[in-house]
Amino acid sequence: MKSVMLYALSTCPFCKMAKRFFESRNIPYNFVDVDLLPEEEKEKTVAEVQRISGRRAFPVIVIGEEVIVGYDELRIREALEK
Amino acid sequence: MTSERMLCPVCQVAFLLKEEKVPGKRVVCPVCGAVLTLTEENGSWVLRRPKDMSPEEEIRTRVENFARLRGYHFNEMKEPLIEALLKKYERYGDFYCPCKIDNIPENVCPCLETRQGSVERNGRCHCGLFWK
Repeated sequence: MKSVMLYALSTCPFCKMAKRFFESRNIPYNFVDVDLLPEEEKEKTVAEVQRISGRRAFPVIVIGEEVIVGYDELRIREALEK
Repeated sequence: MTSERMLCPVCQVAFLLKEEKVPGKRVVCPVCGAVLTLTEENGSWVLRRPKDMSPEEEIRTRVENFARLRGYHFNEMKEPLIEALLKKYERYGDFYCPCKIDNIPENVCPCLETRQGSVERNGRCHCGLFWK
């Protein structure tokens, strides 16, 4: 099973949809609500998100080696099945 | 009646106001859809955000005006996003984009990339509030 990491914001509806997607299919995933992190950790995590996605917008989903920027169900399914 | 360039305090873009100037008159920014109040300050006309609207009324009117101006549509994501924008307002003092980490003027809804045509390019804005 590929590792799944979801970088999210607590205010972002597409991030909530991504969480629901993994939960409803019993797909194990890790997530972080970046806006709720303590300041120093938040800066580090945002820098990491920017490095892998080129943006400071959410959600960013990492499945195995693949980085998906935004909520794209088709790409998530494909990345999980690869 | 003279036309005058007026600055929108929400999107920071100047536009030509051709209407008669009356203190307290409501004006809609043709760029971002913000509802503004015409005010006379120190002998000059300026536009201010309305003090007599609740935050919810202000953001709902703004996004509805923006969608109408651009011919965009809403779907079932509208209500969760209005809630999220109100949460951002409570936490950070303005209607910053709920899907972006930076609470800065260019991310005030409708954000700069949306005002610059991202809906035309992608079919929707990043958050999914405005749809083509």
